[in-house]
Amino acid sequence: MFQTTLKKEWLDTKRQGQALWLGGIAILLLLLACLTGFKSHQSYQQAVTEVSQSEQLRWLNQGEKGPHSAAHYGIYVVKPTTPLAALDAGLQAYQGNVLRLEAHIRNDSMFRSAQDSLPMSRFGSLSPAFVLQVLLPLLIILIGYPLLAREREQGTLKQLLASGASPAKLFIAKCALLFVISCLFLLPVALFLLYSQVTNAEPHTLRSGLFLLFYLVYLLLWSLLTTTLSSLLPTARRALVALLTIWAFTTLLLPKLAMNIATTIHPQGSGQAFQAKLESEVYTEARVEAIAQFKQQTLTQYGVGNVEDLPFDYAGAQLQFGEQYADKIFDRLFSARLAQLEAQSQSYQLAGMLTPFIAIQTLSMATAASDFTHQQAFENAAEQHRRMMQEVLNFNQRDHGHKADGHYTAGEELWQQIPKFAFQYPNFVRYLPHYVISLFSLSFWLIALVLLSFFAIKKLRLEEQR
Amino acid sequence: MTTPVIQINNLQKRFGEYQALQGLSLSVHQGEILALLGPNGAGKTTTINCLLGFLQPDAGEITIAGINPQHDVVTARQQLAYIPEQVALYPRLSGIENLAYFSKMASIDKTDEAFRTLLSEVKLPSHAVDKPVATYSKGMRQKVGIAIALAKQAKALILDEPTSGLDPSASHEFSQLIQSLAKQGVAILMATHDLYRAQEDAHRVAIINQGQLVDTLVYEQLQEVQLESVYLKHIKVGV
Repeated sequence: MFQTTLKKEWLDTKRQGQALWLGGIAILLLLLACLTGFKSHQSYQQAVTEVSQSEQLRWLNQGEKGPHSAAHYGIYVVKPTTPLAALDAGLQAYQGNVLRLEAHIRNDSMFRSAQDSLPMSRFGSLSPAFVLQVLLPLLIILIGYPLLAREREQGTLKQLLASGASPAKLFIAKCALLFVISCLFLLPVALFLLYSQVTNAEPHTLRSGLFLLFYLVYLLLWSLLTTTLSSLLPTARRALVALLTIWAFTTLLLPKLAMNIATTIHPQGSGQAFQAKLESEVYTEARVEAIAQFKQQTLTQYGVGNVEDLPFDYAGAQLQFGEQYADKIFDRLFSARLAQLEAQSQSYQLAGMLTPFIAIQTLSMATAASDFTHQQAFENAAEQHRRMMQEVLNFNQRDHGHKADGHYTAGEELWQQIPKFAFQYPNFVRYLPHYVISLFSLSFWLIALVLLSFFAIKKLRLEEQR
Repeated sequence: MTTPVIQINNLQKRFGEYQALQGLSLSVHQGEILALLGPNGAGKTTTINCLLGFLQPDAGEITIAGINPQHDVVTARQQLAYIPEQVALYPRLSGIENLAYFSKMASIDKTDEAFRTLLSEVKLPSHAVDKPVATYSKGMRQKVGIAIALAKQAKALILDEPTSGLDPSASHEFSQLIQSLAKQGVAILMATHDLYRAQEDAHRVAIINQGQLVDTLVYEQLQEVQLESVYLKHIKVGV
């Protein structure tokens, strides 16, 4: 029955022409979006490689200086990206891609590309994710709204059913047809993923597979919804109006509303205010006292009266103590901020029960590693690197500073002891707990729409009674 | 007497306050043409929709070739063919494409040649076979409808106002096709307002009014009476 329906719909569509134009335009848009996504991903990757290499060279060639001066000299690390970010750049433009690692302070990411863009660019951006999440459902609606409703208006539905066509098979054939057509639009994406699998050193197979799977489910949801409303509503016009209303609410209005509600319930201060809070909490009287206590403990431990009599350079030890003291405050404040952001994210994901758009948006960014959770993974790894770097430099000062007469300096031998920052996203399975709500809401929508389809099929059996 | 192909017993159907069918009983045997007469609102279309399984009767029983559409609607529908007043076809598809599509959707697969033969049997002009149905006259669409019924080899044929709007020659041609189907053993139930065609074609005429069977005339009676006067008498009584 599917083949027969496919052939008939193809003949009908071909002779009508309108849907072919619509489909052609959509594929063109998607190809264009994939191409621009790929280009921007390529240039970003190139920048990551170049900056990482030049930073490493800058670090190694900084010349002779004191270890603590080197700690302030610092390095910049750049967030790597997955090939999937070419399809869904997610929050990348808003989160910042570069972190400065230096002594005494845990910096926030900087160089948000959105800051450098013209405000108008927000409205004009055409990413593959936008096409897949927003435009493709619209296309499914425009192709699918008349599938059963127009048949009802023309009288062919009654004629078909009266001739003994199974309502269930007819519904499934129409829905399958719509789903297969929508899958054709995923083809450029699948080809891109295949290409990136073959050409990339880190293939991200699981992420690519899940990315496609989530979108397949999303397209199936829209195919089911469109076929169901086309089946339940008496006219094609009413089906179109209902579907467009649902589309506008679920893809445009509800996500904005959900985000506003999430940020109102779990408010988040500005980045500048947070940095100011960090400094004010670290540099307090308590810190001065803690350092004095550390000094006294050290002197007691070594049974000496002043730091010059210690068998090491006290300045290095105190610097490391200061770092560890600040790290505890950083951990507390960053954890609180992270908890607030996580709560915001969970609230937003919860709204996925109202619209599958939020679920697919969350899961798409998650698999593309372009969301907040993956940003945190990068920032945490960078912070660990910063702490390791401070430790190596401070301990070097502690162990060698006292041997030099006056001003101690280190060279490339020490700089080389700091390994190059190389961050790789851990296996996606480890991140899954962050997305339980979205996975649940996508499944919920699938089950709900399958049940609604059963209801529509039942109503089809009694076509005249509606 | 053979077992009826279409059997309706004590059928009742209510739409809110309106009682559309009040214990209607009818039967159509193999090779028989039963004309169902009645004024607008008498319950003809409601009866047909119950037969097609599109309406659930409130009471009573229907069987088509022994199958109750209330229990197994798809199998019951596979036993019959239905031709409404306006045969609904896909306007952008040709006659043969429509015939092939409707047949295949009812799980009947034939070769292109076989479908062409069927269209020629129902006397669809050969030049029209591959043209879009949008260009067809009503009579030509009715012929495609008959071809769909022929392809199905249905045991029962249900016609709802089949000759309404047809010119006399098309109506005559249609009547011949119906009679040839009856000769092949198909049980035909024809709801109509066309008293002339009913008297000419039917083996029996059932007159219903306000959802009730008010009279049945067998073939012999039909040869002797003026159907119009009998019909008007009953309708007047019904009013």
